[in-house]
Amino acid sequence: MEYNQELVDLITQKVMEYINREQTEYEKRSLPQSGKLLIKESGEAPSGLYADEVVVGLAPAFGVRQTETINGLSHYDVLREISAGIEEEGLRTRFVKVYATSDVSFIALTAAKLSGSGIGIGIQSKGTTVIHQKDLYPLTNLELFPQAPLLTLQIYRQIGKNAARYAKGQSPTPIETQNDCMVRPKYQAKAALLHIKETELADADKKPVALEVRFER
Amino acid sequence: MDSLQKTSYPYRMVAGVDIGNSTTEVVIASIMENDIKYLSTAILPTTGVKGTIQNVDGVLETLKVAADQASIEISDLSAIMLNEATPVISEIAMETISQTEIIGSSMIGHNPDTPGGRGIATGITRHIENIRIEGDVIAVVPAEYDFEEVAEKINAAFDEGYSITGVILKKDDGVLVANRLKKTIPIVDEVLNIEKVPLGMKAAIEVAGNGETIKVLSNPYGLATLFSLSPSETKDIIPISKSLIGNRSGVVIKNPEGNVKSEKIPAGSITMADKDRKVRVDVLEGAEKIMQARSALDELEDAFGDQGTNVGAMLGRVKEQMSELTGLSDIKIKDVLAVDTFVPVKVSGAIAGEYAMENAVLLAAMVKTSRLPMEKIAQALSEKTGVYVKIEGQEANMAILGALTTPGSDKPLAILDMGGGSTDAAIIDKHGNIKSVHLSGAGEMVTMIINSELALEDKELAELIKKYPLAKVDSLLNLRFEDGSVKFMEEPLDPDFYARVVVVTPEKLIPIRGGKKLTLEKIRLVRREAKKKVFVTNAMRALTRVAPDGNIRNIEFVVMVGGSALDFEIPEMISNELANYRIVAGRGNIRGSEGPRNAVATGLVIHAREG
Repeated sequence: MEYNQELVDLITQKVMEYINREQTEYEKRSLPQSGKLLIKESGEAPSGLYADEVVVGLAPAFGVRQTETINGLSHYDVLREISAGIEEEGLRTRFVKVYATSDVSFIALTAAKLSGSGIGIGIQSKGTTVIHQKDLYPLTNLELFPQAPLLTLQIYRQIGKNAARYAKGQSPTPIETQNDCMVRPKYQAKAALLHIKETELADADKKPVALEVRFER
Repeated sequence: MDSLQKTSYPYRMVAGVDIGNSTTEVVIASIMENDIKYLSTAILPTTGVKGTIQNVDGVLETLKVAADQASIEISDLSAIMLNEATPVISEIAMETISQTEIIGSSMIGHNPDTPGGRGIATGITRHIENIRIEGDVIAVVPAEYDFEEVAEKINAAFDEGYSITGVILKKDDGVLVANRLKKTIPIVDEVLNIEKVPLGMKAAIEVAGNGETIKVLSNPYGLATLFSLSPSETKDIIPISKSLIGNRSGVVIKNPEGNVKSEKIPAGSITMADKDRKVRVDVLEGAEKIMQARSALDELEDAFGDQGTNVGAMLGRVKEQMSELTGLSDIKIKDVLAVDTFVPVKVSGAIAGEYAMENAVLLAAMVKTSRLPMEKIAQALSEKTGVYVKIEGQEANMAILGALTTPGSDKPLAILDMGGGSTDAAIIDKHGNIKSVHLSGAGEMVTMIINSELALEDKELAELIKKYPLAKVDSLLNLRFEDGSVKFMEEPLDPDFYARVVVVTPEKLIPIRGGKKLTLEKIRLVRREAKKKVFVTNAMRALTRVAPDGNIRNIEFVVMVGGSALDFEIPEMISNELANYRIVAGRGNIRGSEGPRNAVATGLVIHAREG
């Protein structure tokens, strides 16, 4: 196979077209929403007894000290899309706040262990997300979305859907995400700051807390 | 002609080499008087197409492995015996013979994962902004509307007394909207090209409950009732209702110009000829008719398709490919195996990306060429090794000699040699007379059927599905096999496997990713049906041909050999089928140690001893 500038340009153009098409479509969809995210803590989070739930574990600063992800998606939209994805599959969403750590893998595993279905989602304030299962080792997972700046509301909806499908014992196709090697240098400083702010609120001795989440428009 | 000079050596070392479609097998033995001592065996993949000069590399490699095992050099051999594999190459090709087409903008067979609500509804299609109108309305919602907004608009219309009977959504929001509505109405979502849904037309929506399928729209008379159709119109909508059978939800829109057509594509006719007769069959008539015609004929002289048709092109391709490989010009097709199958094909004109399973015929054609290429192989092999190479008798005869080394077997005996490309049968009577037959279609065809019917587009995965049993990963600590047995893992499995259907190979698990459609039951069914279609059909066909008086009941014992006899279920399927004819069939165990492998190679060595 021969590589020349023309071919590279052509491929780049096609890829960009594809990416932009996906984004504009979703951009259009998400416009009318956004409202007020009301989060109320209500005591220690219990273990779930019913298999029709997916537990979403929020990092310490989520929705309180920080209200949008690293690429500017409001936490209101993110949580609404995740729970819409779960609801569309016929399951319920339960929110908890994990104070013990700001590490997204451990947050997700904590959520999974509290979940009646054994499936949990962990999400950091900056947007990094993991789908976890209760029998897994902390640093393994079902699906990991490490490049938060590339996540869109559409993907958050998919994350909710896939987590719910795992909970139903189905075999979903892992979500396709973009990968951009420039994301790391571009966002590293911001990501570090956001993570430090998150970690400041962590308290290793504090048990997970049940949350009442309301989406007010 | 025999340079083996039996008398001049106290013993001699001989290699039997069997070049098969998929594997090359070698056995090295030392022969002293009438005593054969087997020193080593080896098996490696065949290089190139069986019966072509490319095979030499694979043969050398395999010989080397066997020689190393026997602690000898290849040059220590006094002869290499090669099977006279009159090169038989199978080529398989598929022909789609039916096609569903949507004309205008009716929708058919749309089956989203999670429709909302339930029930059946009819009404006029209206944009979500214009639903406040007298009469029954089905709301059509483009992508820019959020689910809460949709629910609010419809609830408001309900409050004002309008009759909204159903919803068609572009986004995957069916359940979300249904959960927020004051009434339960059917909602179909994920309609990709919603702009193609005609507005102001009469439409019907049906959503069934979990685990159920729709009943009204999939019934032509149901549709006739909903749309008050005349008997002749009812006849026209049969393809629509047919395509909706088995779905959980469906939409039908009555568009004056819209129509759905399911038509057969002219695939052409195949003509087969033996010495005396010629038979012509239309491929449209399906595999069964083709095989009936085939079995009415004796050994084929040739087969060809009409020029300018698909089947003509396919058979032409086989011949062309063969002549390129062998350098011969006169290529004749000696056998054809046809199998009915399904292929998922995108429905043309669809508005939600619908697929339909279209009928297709899979053909395996076998070509027989002269002895010439084999002699080239022998010559090249002899030049490279410096060892005398001899092409020995027919493959099936050698296989029977090898098969007779199975403990407990005796003449008269029939064998079934099931390989990658062809299925052979041979029978030996009390006096040692052998009759044999060579038919096309074997393991590779099964792989192709699995690949296309499951829409895998991954031949290696299809090959693995063919070879090994399936299991479902229940949790990361236990596997549930297809037979219902459960295995607990000592270490948690890799999360990649979670909730997946996996192929269980001896080394590792291989996940099958294909969404909800590829359930364990579905894959298992397709796999078993594919094996039955190819191997059971061919076993019956082959044995009938070699059976005394052409009656399969005159056979008493059948030994199954060849790579496909190693399969975990094929021998069982054939044994079961043959039991109906009171035939005892079982897997061979060559030399009491090799299992069904190495029959031809062993036969060659035995033949060498007998001179």
